[in-house]
Amino acid sequence: MEAETVSIENSGYRIKHGLLSRITPLTKQEKLLEIRLPEGEYLDHDPGQFVQVSVFGVGEAPISICSSPTRREAFEICVRQAGRVTTAIHKLCEGDVVGIRGPFGVGFPVLPLEGNDILLVAGGLGIAPLRSLINYIIDNRRDFGKVDILLGCRNPESMLFSSEIGHWQKRIDLNFCCSVDHAAPEWAGNVGVITALIPGVNLYPLKTFVMVCGPPVMYRYVVDELLKKGIPERQIFLSLERHMKCGLGKCGHCQIEDIYCCQDGPVFSYQKLKHIRGAI
Amino acid sequence: MNQALLSKSRLADFVSYLVSGHKVVAPVPLQEGRFKFDEVQSLADISLNYIPTILPPKKYFMPQRSTLLRYDLSKGQDMEEMVELEKLVLFGVHTCDLAGIQCLNIVFSDRPKDLHYLARNNFITVIGLECSDYCDSFAGCAMLHNHLPKGGYDLFLTELAECYYVHINTQKGEEMIEEASIFEAATKAAEGELERLRSRKKELFTSEVPIRYQDIPRLFEETFDSDVWSQLGEKCLSCGNCTSVCPTCFCFDILDEPELDLGSGERVRVWDSCQNEAFAAVAGGDNFRKKRLERQRHRFHRKFKYLMDRYGRLFCTGCGRCSRSCMAGINLKRTISALIEERG
Amino acid sequence: MTRPKVAFFDFSCCEGCQLQVANLGEALLDILALVDLVEFREVMSEKWSGRYSVTFAEGSICSDEAAEKLRKLRERSDVLVAYGSCAATGGVNGMQNRIPREKLISTVYGDQWRAEETRGVRAIHQVVKVDYTLFGCPINPAEFLRLLTAILGGISWHASDNAVCVECKFNENVCMYDRGATCLGPITRGGCNSWCVNNGNVCYGCRGMVSNPNRAGAEEVLQAHGLKPELIAGKMGMYTGALEADDGT
Ligand SMILES: Cc1cc2nc3c(=O)[nH]c(=O)nc-3n(C[C@H](O)[C@H](O)[C@H](O)COP(=O)(O)OP(=O)(O)OC[C@H]3O[C@@H](n4cnc5c(N)ncnc54)[C@H](O)[C@@H]3O)c2cc1C
Ligand code: SF4
Ligand code: FES
Repeated sequence: MEAETVSIENSGYRIKHGLLSRITPLTKQEKLLEIRLPEGEYLDHDPGQFVQVSVFGVGEAPISICSSPTRREAFEICVRQAGRVTTAIHKLCEGDVVGIRGPFGVGFPVLPLEGNDILLVAGGLGIAPLRSLINYIIDNRRDFGKVDILLGCRNPESMLFSSEIGHWQKRIDLNFCCSVDHAAPEWAGNVGVITALIPGVNLYPLKTFVMVCGPPVMYRYVVDELLKKGIPERQIFLSLERHMKCGLGKCGHCQIEDIYCCQDGPVFSYQKLKHIRGAI
Repeated sequence: MNQALLSKSRLADFVSYLVSGHKVVAPVPLQEGRFKFDEVQSLADISLNYIPTILPPKKYFMPQRSTLLRYDLSKGQDMEEMVELEKLVLFGVHTCDLAGIQCLNIVFSDRPKDLHYLARNNFITVIGLECSDYCDSFAGCAMLHNHLPKGGYDLFLTELAECYYVHINTQKGEEMIEEASIFEAATKAAEGELERLRSRKKELFTSEVPIRYQDIPRLFEETFDSDVWSQLGEKCLSCGNCTSVCPTCFCFDILDEPELDLGSGERVRVWDSCQNEAFAAVAGGDNFRKKRLERQRHRFHRKFKYLMDRYGRLFCTGCGRCSRSCMAGINLKRTISALIEERG
Repeated sequence: MTRPKVAFFDFSCCEGCQLQVANLGEALLDILALVDLVEFREVMSEKWSGRYSVTFAEGSICSDEAAEKLRKLRERSDVLVAYGSCAATGGVNGMQNRIPREKLISTVYGDQWRAEETRGVRAIHQVVKVDYTLFGCPINPAEFLRLLTAILGGISWHASDNAVCVECKFNENVCMYDRGATCLGPITRGGCNSWCVNNGNVCYGCRGMVSNPNRAGAEEVLQAHGLKPELIAGKMGMYTGALEADDGT
């Protein structure tokens, strides 16, 4: 009759071993980690989904997958050092193992994009999940129409994936535009908020899908600009960040009204979000 | 056979029978007219006449702290998912708390299923006990239609003049009755007495709040910006009592608890509360429910609106615990009445 | 790997926190297997002249001499931990900061007083940078072990910012207010596993308030339970007097 502790299998809390096969520092605060699951296992994610990355003894943190599902053998995450778990992740070396749960949630819609124009709006670390989509688009480029990418960051030094962005800029099938909040005089690009770039984008609203990811303050302004351009509400998609613990729609941390961001999101259409108070 | 009778003089024997084969938990008295579910050895330990315990029975289904997995770093990042199981008989559960257990069952059975919860659930036998009177002014079970049994138990006992009327709801319950072999067949007279008791209850248990069950979600929808929330926000101390004692609050945090040598440890879940300041804060410094009024409104809306939208039932059982334990005197029934009044 | 050199020091305090450490029993043996205890007045007389990996400082800082000693310790320590309320918030010692110094000293020492004896009370972090803080008067042994585990693992540590009521409810105590007493649990920083209430006492607020308390709301509750405003202010500030005027010197 005594309480006993028994093992169970395949609960939602099981972690898979993720081998850190490559670590690339991107800025002072952010590192790009390439992760391989055990032989024969693939993450099989959609762009915009996230994983729970765990370091035993410290805890777990939800992190977007920033590589394209078309590149299956490994996946990548970009981690900003923000607190306990992310600091512990930053201390790890190539060859170390992290725990992985997921992929979780609903990512960016991919199928409806076929044959349509796409505008991607990223603020700061928001480029991470969008990079997954961008590389997916690049790998299937002829399935999509015109692709515009707008990126905003604090200053040129904080720009993530700058060498990759260099390649994007050179491609003739992507239009890339960047703006920084502050820059030294030698900066050749735009200075100012990202919303200022939107009016200048040449687009055909009814045929354009917009994917947005960035800090919470950004969304209201970006959506207003997009609506001004005549983009239909159901073609605007936003990825929301919330405090997340379980990823399983149970712990309540990520709840906004009746939705759980971890399972029902993190990506939602504006058409849905506009009815949800406190979402943006 | 779905009904049986247990003569009052044999109730002690029934408890002894339960105790002989199981760990039995039941309401026991504490100071100041408070009660808690705790292990009992005999009928003498049990308060048959009790108002809702400080913590609801959820502490057995989803303990304050429970292990999710154990890890061992000496063998790489090895881990084993774990659940602490204990065969239990939960004796004397009121209808409001039965409803609470049902709410939790719905949440944790929803996909993705929570195996830790479901495994524990399987180990618990539930024996309900009917209330014949309102607990106190905080109780609101009638408003929520939870003053009458609607499943959620293996056996359910109703006290009649001479005996207990027992509804047998599951095979497990039936087997207990047979094994105990102290139950008698139900009689027409007992059936009649039960019916009279239930119709008397209908008069006794009236909702003091002028609203129908099915209209409650709309009330909350229409009063989102009500001043009532600001008043609550000013009063609330964010102590978290209301959510801990709530039979349907199931929010939790997940923590790692390493051993001192750091080589091994456990990942555990611990009750958390949407009333705690950092519950919805994220790393960039944003806190999506920074104000107390937002957190209070979230708590109420979860009970009466959000989870209704999601699971099709209200998540307030009417047990009255949050009002009974609120440091600031925030009262659920009075809050709903204030919303009704304000909306007009 | 060499074992970390750990030392314990005390300033103005009752030494109750180091007693908690000395009384850890079996857990202390586990700790001693992992670290080199190089200085700890309560249990040993040896001294150490090298660098400290982890220094635990107990007590508040009440004199220039103590401040100087603390600064030297900080320089010699990789990690400095302020443990116990006196170290973390100034503790009860801080109450004296509210009384004019001359009056205070003449009350305590009579006409024999010497003005330079002490100065205002400061918490450790008001004098030097602190890496980890453990609240409590005295510290809670289980929490101490969790903190130590974090320190040894090089992991940052957040003290609980939930109210004492949270754990008190986990422990299913009958509320002190139901028992006719007034208790500071609703606004006091928890992490103590509601130690006092478990043992039949009210919460005195030894960890200071949570980081964003609803002070006005709490005052209203206490007044409704018959406390006068001065008494409420006294109760609420009993352990945090030193934090009120941070003169930064
Ligand atoms: C869907 C999603 C995708 C994300 N993608 C990325 C990404 O690609 N790269 C990246 O670097 N970061 C990402 N984040 C943010 C990242 O999860 C947080 O920075 C991280 O959880 C902080 O944990 P910590 O232990 O390091 O910080 P802590 O020491 O725990 O706390 C620091 C701060 O973070 C907050 N916080 C704690 N836990 C969480 C949590 N589970 N979720 C959110 N905030 C929390 C705390 O309230 C505190 O304010 C994402 C978050 C979400 C929800
Ligand atoms: S019990 Fe009352 S004071 Fe405490 S958090 Fe809940 S509503 Fe606020
Ligand atoms: S993260 Fe737990 S419910 Fe979404």
